[in-house]
Order: sequence, then C-alpha cells, then structure tokens
Amino acid sequence: MADGPGFRTAIYCAGCLHHCKGCHNPQSWDMAGGHPVSVEDLLADIKSDEFSNVTFSGGDPFYQVEAFTNLARRIKEETTKTIWCWTGFTYEEILADKRLSMLLPYLDVLVDGPFILEQRDTTLLFRGSPNQRIIYLTPKEDDEIPGAVPLMPLR
Amino acid sequence: MVKHVIKRDGRVVDFNNQKIVAAILKAMAVTEEGEDIVLAAKIADAISKNGRDEMGVEEIQDCVENELMNSPRKEVAKRYIAYRNQRNLARKAKTNEIFQTIIDAQANDITRENANMNADTPAGMMMKFASEATKSYVDECLLSGDVREAVAGNYIHIHDKDYYPTKSLTCIQHPLDKILEHGMKAGHGESRPAKRIETASVLACISMETVQNEMHGGQAIPAFDFYLAPFVRKTFEEEVDKVSAICNTDYSFLKEAVIDDYLKHDLIGLQGKERALQHAINQTVSRVHQAMEAFVHNMNTIHSRGGNQVVFSSINYGTDTSAEGRCIIRELLNTTYEGVGNGSTAIFPIQIWKKKRGVSYLPGDRNYDLYKFACRVSARRFFPNFLNLDASFNQDDAWKADDPKRYIHEVATMGCRTRVYGNRFGPKTSIGRGNLSFTTINIVKLAIEAMQEQEDKDRRIQAFFQKLDWALDISAKQLNERFEFQKTAVKKQFPLLMSGLWLGSEKLDDEDSIESVINQGTLSIGFIGLAECLIALIGKHHGESEEAQELGLRIISHMAEKINGFAETFQHNFTFLATPAEGLSGKFTKRDRKTFGVLPGITDKDYYTNSSHIPVYYHCTPEHKAKIEGPYHKYENAGHIFYVEIDGDATHNPEAIMNIVDLMDKYDIGYGSVNHNRNRCLDCGYEDASEGLEVCPHCHGNHIDTLQRITGYLVGTTNRWNSGKLAELKDRVVHK
Repeated sequence: MADGPGFRTAIYCAGCLHHCKGCHNPQSWDMAGGHPVSVEDLLADIKSDEFSNVTFSGGDPFYQVEAFTNLARRIKEETTKTIWCWTGFTYEEILADKRLSMLLPYLDVLVDGPFILEQRDTTLLFRGSPNQRIIYLTPKEDDEIPGAVPLMPLR
Repeated sequence: MVKHVIKRDGRVVDFNNQKIVAAILKAMAVTEEGEDIVLAAKIADAISKNGRDEMGVEEIQDCVENELMNSPRKEVAKRYIAYRNQRNLARKAKTNEIFQTIIDAQANDITRENANMNADTPAGMMMKFASEATKSYVDECLLSGDVREAVAGNYIHIHDKDYYPTKSLTCIQHPLDKILEHGMKAGHGESRPAKRIETASVLACISMETVQNEMHGGQAIPAFDFYLAPFVRKTFEEEVDKVSAICNTDYSFLKEAVIDDYLKHDLIGLQGKERALQHAINQTVSRVHQAMEAFVHNMNTIHSRGGNQVVFSSINYGTDTSAEGRCIIRELLNTTYEGVGNGSTAIFPIQIWKKKRGVSYLPGDRNYDLYKFACRVSARRFFPNFLNLDASFNQDDAWKADDPKRYIHEVATMGCRTRVYGNRFGPKTSIGRGNLSFTTINIVKLAIEAMQEQEDKDRRIQAFFQKLDWALDISAKQLNERFEFQKTAVKKQFPLLMSGLWLGSEKLDDEDSIESVINQGTLSIGFIGLAECLIALIGKHHGESEEAQELGLRIISHMAEKINGFAETFQHNFTFLATPAEGLSGKFTKRDRKTFGVLPGITDKDYYTNSSHIPVYYHCTPEHKAKIEGPYHKYENAGHIFYVEIDGDATHNPEAIMNIVDLMDKYDIGYGSVNHNRNRCLDCGYEDASEGLEVCPHCHGNHIDTLQRITGYLVGTTNRWNSGKLAELKDRVVHK
C-alpha cells in the first residue's frame, strides 16, 4: 500500500545509482540485476487486473527511460489506468534532460528526489523524507467532500 | 397404570417400562451376583401397574428405589441410589467448578466467550452464573436424546443455548418509524412521538437498549437515514421560528424553502431572508451533529442486558438521497470520523453503508460524495462496512427510485452478518424481522471421520455427504423443537419487542402466545471450517485448488438446497448461515484435536476457519479472495461476510477501500469490510498503523490501544478475546 493510492500493479525495475543511505530496497541497485521482461508481457499483466492502476518503481525507472516510455505509452493508449512513478532524480533534473523527460508526458504522478535518512519521517504520504515531492502531472481528482469535518492532514 | 411420564422440562412423553428395566440391569451389572432380568422386569411391571397415569421422572426413580429395597437384592438398590447421587453430584461439581472460575475472575474461554461482555463486573458475573447453570438445564431437560448426543459428540453447536429456557428470539431490525411516530412505553416511562432530531436520536437508542433485554442477539436499525430524515426538517422548522422571533420578522414562509443540501456557510454578506435561511440551516446542521454524537456516545456507554453489555447495535444507511437524509449521513460520518470522547474509535454501532448503483456508489450518483467520505471514515475507523444492494440475491423488483418508502425493499444486515430478507409467510423485507435461533454444524469433524473411514477419494466424499445429511437433519429437528418451545411464550414476556416492532405483533394481546407472528423470523443452520473440511477430504483448501473450490461449492449448494427443503417440510423460514462463530471457533477445534490428535492443516491450529473463508494464513491477492469467496454468498442467505486484510496506513489510501468495494460489486459479494491495523496512544491521541506498536513515538507513553475486528465487531484491547480467536488473529496475513 506504499505504492500509491488504491490497488496497483507495481513494476520494480533493477538498477539505481543514487544509492541513498537507508534505502528500503538496496538489493535493487545492481544495474545488471533482475531479469528481462518484455513490454508485451508487462502490459498483459497490467491489463489482467481490471481494478489496479500502475506504479513504476525500483530501482529507478529513469535508468531505463526508453523502455518505460514505451510501456507507459502503450498503457495510456490501451487502458484508462493512471501511472505513478518513483525516482531518485528531482523533477527539475528530469526537466533539464531531454532524454529523461521523454517519460513525463505519460505519467500522472511523479514522486521525486533522493531519500535523505537524516530527515526520515514515517508519517509522510508515500514518501520517506520531506524533500521528496508528490508532483501531479495530470490534474488531481477533486476529492473535496462538502460538509465533511477536516480530515487528518496528509503530508 | 402409568401411561405418561412428565419429564423435567414439563414435556409429557409415553411411558416405556423398558427404560426402567435397562436402568436396573445397569445397577445389577456392577454387583457380584450380576444381572437378573426376571427380577428387573418384575419390578418394572409392578411400577407400571401400580403407578398413577402420569408420573414424574424423579417419582418413578423413587419407586424403583423402594421396590429394590423391598427385593432380595438390596445391594442393587444401593448401587442404584449411588448412581443417582453420583449423577446429581457430577452435575453440581461441574457447575461448581465453573462457578469458581467465574468468581476468581479468571480469564479463560468461559469468561471470554463473548468479547463484548465484561464478565468481571458483578452484573457480568451474575450473568455467567446464570448462563452456565441454564446450559446444563437445557441439556438435561429441553433437548431430545439424539440432539443432546449430537451436541455432546461435537457435531453441532446450539448458539445461545443459555437463553434457550427464556424462549427469547435472537435479533431484530427495528422499524424505528413506529416508535418515532407513535412514541413508546418502556419500564415506568412513556414517551411521546419525537418532534426534533435530539429526541429522535435518543429514542433510537432507547429502542435498541430496551429490546436488547428482551432478546439474546443484536439490535439493528435498517434505514437510519430514512427514519431520522423527517426530524432534520422539523428541527429546521424550529430554527426558522427562532430566527423569526429574534429578528421580530415573520420568516415562517422559509419552512417551505427547497433546500438542496444542509451545508454550513458563513453568514457574512448575507442579508434578510437569505441570512435567516442560512442561519437556520447552520443551526440545524449543528444540532444534527450533536444528536449523532450523542447517539454514538450512548451506544458505546450505556450498558444494558443486566448491566454488563453495551448493545450489539448496528445501523444501515446510505441510500436516502433527500437533503435531510444526506444531512443525517454526513453528520453521522463526521462524528464517526472524529471519534468519541477524546477521539477514540467508536466500537458501536456497527455502521453499514448500503451500496447501490445509481444511488450511493458510482461517480455521478447523488450520494457518491458521501460514499467517498464513508470509505475515508472506514479507513480510519473500520466502519462503515459495505452492504452490496446490487448483488443478485439482494434485489427486489418492488424497489422503485421514486418510492419514499423504498427502504422497506432494501436488504439490511446485522453488523455481525446475520441477514433476514426472503419470507415465505409475509412481505420480503428485513424490517421488523430477525433470526429466531441458529445452530452450527461442525463440518470439519464430519470430514475427518469420512477421511478416516474411507481411503478412496470418491467414497470418502460420498461418506461425508451422508454424514452431512444426518447433521443437517438433526439440526433442523433441533431448531424446529426450539421453535415449538419458543412459540409457547406470551406477548407480555417481550413488552417492547412485541408491542409492534416485530412484524404483526401489534395485533397480539398480552396473554396471547407469539406463535402466530414468529414464523416471520428465521431458523438458521450454519457451518464452520469449510477450508479444513476440504483439506480433510481432498488435501487442499479452496483458495489453493480449483478442485477444492468445485467441491466446496458442491457442499455449500447441497446444504442450501437441503435447508430450503426443511423450509417446505417444517413450514418455517429455514435459512443457511455462514456462522459468525466467536466462542465456537476454538471450542470445536479443541475437542476434535482431543479426539483425532493433531492433523496437519486441520486440527493443527487453535481455530477452524470462519465459514467459507479462505484460511487467514493463506497469502493471496484481494481479487483472488473475492473470486473464490464470492460464489458462496448467494447460497448463504442467512448471512455472510467478506474480509480483506490490508497493510500500511489505510488513512493514506482510502482508494484501496473503494477498490475492495469494486471487487464486491464485480464478484456478487453481499457484505464485506476491510481489516487493517490502527494504533492509538491513549495518553496523547497519536495514531498510526504500524505493526506491534508498544511505545508512542510522540509522547513515549506505553498505553497503546490497537483495534481489531472479531466476527464483525471491533474490540479495542485483545484481552477479552478467547484463545481460538487470538490464535486466528496471529495468523492473519494481508492480502496483496
């Protein structure tokens, strides 16, 4: 349930060079780790679950940006599912890099930035440290409920 | 000449002198000279000739004693007397032992049978004494021989057996409108019809609290929103009068105002009648909120039933789309979200969201906003649960969107899952009806026996079905016997329940028996441990094997069919229950392990799996669980529940709750809820969802309350859980 809102099909890729201290998944750093899976197979998996949306995580998907762009484009063309993507790069770093930003048009939400152990906060929503941000690339669904008491603040 | 024998419970049966012969021979068998059948027959004949037409059991035993004393075999008399005393003593000794554990306030499975009851309080102890004493009375005096044997053999369990002698019924869905519109009489008080929301909400409490004392099960309100909505309007009208008085202006025309939604807004910038209208709305919303808070608070604090239990209360709502109904729902959800007292989760009432396409589920539905809110509230407070009015078996053609009383045709459930809807003897509705009594079959034991008798799989399954039919027959017989006993009660034994709340009861006079109305209720046969049953029969449970699923459905549909047959034969509303087995979950297992030893996957845990659920220890996705468990719900017409365990902080992810309701919608699931973890620091109010939290990270206090759900009810601390349920809790895995 830390992979984003609702049921999600999470795709964990291998390989990450950020090497954040205190990473919850250091076994995924190895760039040569994991095993290859085709976009078709992933797509079939994603489609087989009608209630789940999609999460890209890892590893850092931006180290395989072409493949993920390919997959994300197919998801957007062939389903109505939303895509949340976690990365150790900051949004600004991605924007400044033409190659990395090719994935952005297909994402709904980017959770960005490295994890900073010294700032660790377990009450944060879907993140480990407050420097990380939940960035809505497509408009966030209005979830205001008229007349409801103030809900517990989610940070 | 003795013709009839009056048994201890007053039932009259034909005299059979062979029983006397058998008893004497039994006593003779343990003497040196041994049996003398001629003498035994002579004594039996003498008694049957010389006795009166009708004699009591004890009287006859006295005669046997006298005859034996006057015979040459005085040593047999001694044995006979000793045997009688022994039996009496044994009965008493067992009771005394149990009484002692109650007095010592020892935590054990007797005092913890019911997690909602505090058996340590004086009133709670008093109740346990009575309960333990009546159970043996029932065994000795009220059950027929083969039923008693089936109970003693651990094949069936009679629920609420301690209440059997009281003739009480189990539960009811309150037609609250009757009380709100006509007032009520309870104890020494009489109340007038309600005129405002505060009174209406208090009457709702009193109705449930009073009737709880007249029954042995839960109390529910089937359409909380519909019933209370008119009093929102009345409250609003009162507020209009107040504004008129304060402003010295006649605003009474505002009473006719069309209000789209009762939402609070700032008065700044509003003038004249707009200002008066908004003020009246604001005040109304505040009062409704207070009334809902009082309602929830009362349901959690006022102990009824001898002063040791709060009411097992449930409320159904979600489908009233009127502005007033929506105001009730919104403020109830608001107060539930905020919590009671210093923000603790309210344990009662169990709240149930009535999910219906076109009304309270899909984006665009009038109550979609409140449905989304309900999911958020459930993510923090475990309630509401979700009742799927769209399930194929939860629909009624009589339901019309523009019918102001359409709730009559909407199914409602007791929080624990008990469902009453179909009706052979009156209108199809949940309202004013309830369960009369229920009995659960230990299908695991039947399967273990079949497993040990037959090597061959097909033969084994065949043997199982034969045993199952026997257990079903005896359960039906037992329920019918209890019905025959219950129906002898008279109306005045249930002063409020039978004053019109129970369907048809208003036409009864005080001394009338309740026979003519209780056929509106259901007699339910339940089961426990389908998973273990399947493992015993074919080595796998239905979560892990298609073959097992197929057999599981065969078993359950067979039971459903047979139970429908009982309804025909006995002319009662027999229904089939996925038993919410709280006290039972460990009891059956413990006994079976003693009998059969530790059988892997079957008796190796301290509990049997709840009804037709996949075992709690089995890892699978929520969707797999829904796909497997869904198909059973349509057979289990006396109630069923679907649980999903989720990890992480659910308040961060209310969308997951919505997804689970989507699964219910897709897989024709009737009723369900989401289990998660919620810790609360009792010192500072800090909340989170971490596992095994012992020290508060905020104030470092160690008074952490972790909420869990047990057979549909929430329990704050687990020290009132019995050992079977505790073991089950430890094994629960999240579904992901």
